[in-house]
Amino acid sequence: MDYLIHLAILVGIYLILAQSFNIVFGLGRMFNLAHIAVYAIGAYTTALLSTNLQMSFWICIPASMIISALFALLIGAISFKLDHDYFAIGSLAFSSVVTAVLINWKSLTRGVLGITGIPRPEVLGIDFSDNTNFLFLLSIFVAAVLISVGIIFKITFARCLRAQAEHSHAARSLGVNLVRLRTNAFIISSAYAGLAGAFFSYYINYIDPSSFGLHEMVFVLSIVIIGKPGSFWGVTAATFFLVLLPEPLRFLSISPSILGPMRQLLYSLILFGVVFWKRKTLFPVERSV
Amino acid sequence: MEILPQLLVNAIIAGSIYALASSGLSLTYGLLRILNFAHGHLMMVGVYFFYLLSVEYQWSLAASGLGTIVFSILLAAVTLRIFVLPFSKYSFILTLVTTLALSNIIEALVSICFGVNVKSLSPGTAAKSIEIGSVYITPIQIIIIVSALTLLSATAFIIHQSSLGRKIRALSADAFAAQSVGIHESRVCFLVYTLAVIYAAFAGILVGYETNMQPTMGTTYTIKAFAAMVLGGLGNLWGTIIGSYILGLVENLSIGLDFGGYSIPAGYKDAFSFMIILLVLLFRPQGLFTKKKRAA
Repeated sequence: MDYLIHLAILVGIYLILAQSFNIVFGLGRMFNLAHIAVYAIGAYTTALLSTNLQMSFWICIPASMIISALFALLIGAISFKLDHDYFAIGSLAFSSVVTAVLINWKSLTRGVLGITGIPRPEVLGIDFSDNTNFLFLLSIFVAAVLISVGIIFKITFARCLRAQAEHSHAARSLGVNLVRLRTNAFIISSAYAGLAGAFFSYYINYIDPSSFGLHEMVFVLSIVIIGKPGSFWGVTAATFFLVLLPEPLRFLSISPSILGPMRQLLYSLILFGVVFWKRKTLFPVERSV
Repeated sequence: MEILPQLLVNAIIAGSIYALASSGLSLTYGLLRILNFAHGHLMMVGVYFFYLLSVEYQWSLAASGLGTIVFSILLAAVTLRIFVLPFSKYSFILTLVTTLALSNIIEALVSICFGVNVKSLSPGTAAKSIEIGSVYITPIQIIIIVSALTLLSATAFIIHQSSLGRKIRALSADAFAAQSVGIHESRVCFLVYTLAVIYAAFAGILVGYETNMQPTMGTTYTIKAFAAMVLGGLGNLWGTIIGSYILGLVENLSIGLDFGGYSIPAGYKDAFSFMIILLVLLFRPQGLFTKKKRAA
């Protein structure tokens, strides 16, 4: 039972993370490899505030979301200058700068040793160190995120994002303010990623830079692509599928050191398979007018 | 400033490795117009294969080298046919995703087969350094510098003097026009891509001797090669090579020199190359050595 609750919590955290990436990448087609860096910033914000300053849940969560959103402004600034391949490299570079700082700013982040002993939150007198209670708390937030993302996918904002992905000049000529649109998309998606990061560090109690590498980014990318970019229900289903898929491996007698690479191999192969199979329709080439 | 000559030599050594690793990436970008996120991983798997032959099977140096070249050719053929070509005529996002998937697959396979721990090709004892003036240099470092110069000159000769080089230049200037005068695009692409993988594997082997190797080095070197390429301009071979040496110089000078009693910690070396990519991309996206193209 404990194990099932653990899985449910993981699914919850990845649901927030994947849906937030679905906004920029799925709707906006912006190949933002820095999404995982924003998630890391959210996780570190909560970890540092709750261990060093003993801040409460109600301060850590908004702080994580706000600081992640501030970094989103930087990514947004990069996206205005760069398109296509160039944005992919730029966001990867941004993400690598964040990782390098996390590893090297030892006085703050303790480098590769990571931050240990992150306390579970206590809200309204309820202690959430019990996993069942924690799942309950997380579900409230997951529900809130999913409902708000569901609404976002239905409003004009989503249509504008899709339009600028398909043809940015045409979208502009119809009165879409690209700068404001993209900035908003990055802010919303990064705030949610920060929220996911905060819950991740609360749940795991321990974070280090290796949890936020490129392979995690590819995992989130896999979820969104396998679920069909821009599809709310597809990405939700794909999150369940990809998070739960490697779990049966645990019951085979495989040594734990192989388990991580096996999981990585599994989702990368599925990602490649889906892209190969759907290559003609997955990302329509930008139309020329 | 007694440390300066040593830093310059270190910069040249680092730059030589980056130049070997990134020149192939740049040539491929010029021809295929794809960003290969798995380039560093192709380099990593090359050095692990060499390790398998030379350390675990105890093959001689020449036999292991030859084996690695054969392996690289096969690897190039397989990855190009499966991970690149089926996608190149659709959206650019597809090849970004498939090469990222490829990089993950390679890293996972190498981790499963060899473990994630640090390994080294050089025997345990530290190599004896040769002292020239105030500069210390090991034999392997001399090999790095000399072989990089030789290989890059050979590449220069191929690109500028041979008929293959003419085809490569024609294809990267205008693929459609080049094909219409009878240049076989896919054959040239395969050749160049294979060459890129072999160069990368060679750079990897040098890294394996000079320092050490581990599965995560793939990502590091992919990003370093991107940095060099961005400095010189995407797809610009000479710019990329100069960019590699600049990258080596900046990294070594930034950590070696102290600015009024304050020196930058060595760990930030990597952060520097990433910052360079960002700054160059933001302020001079065409690279330092490419003239801005006029809008057609």
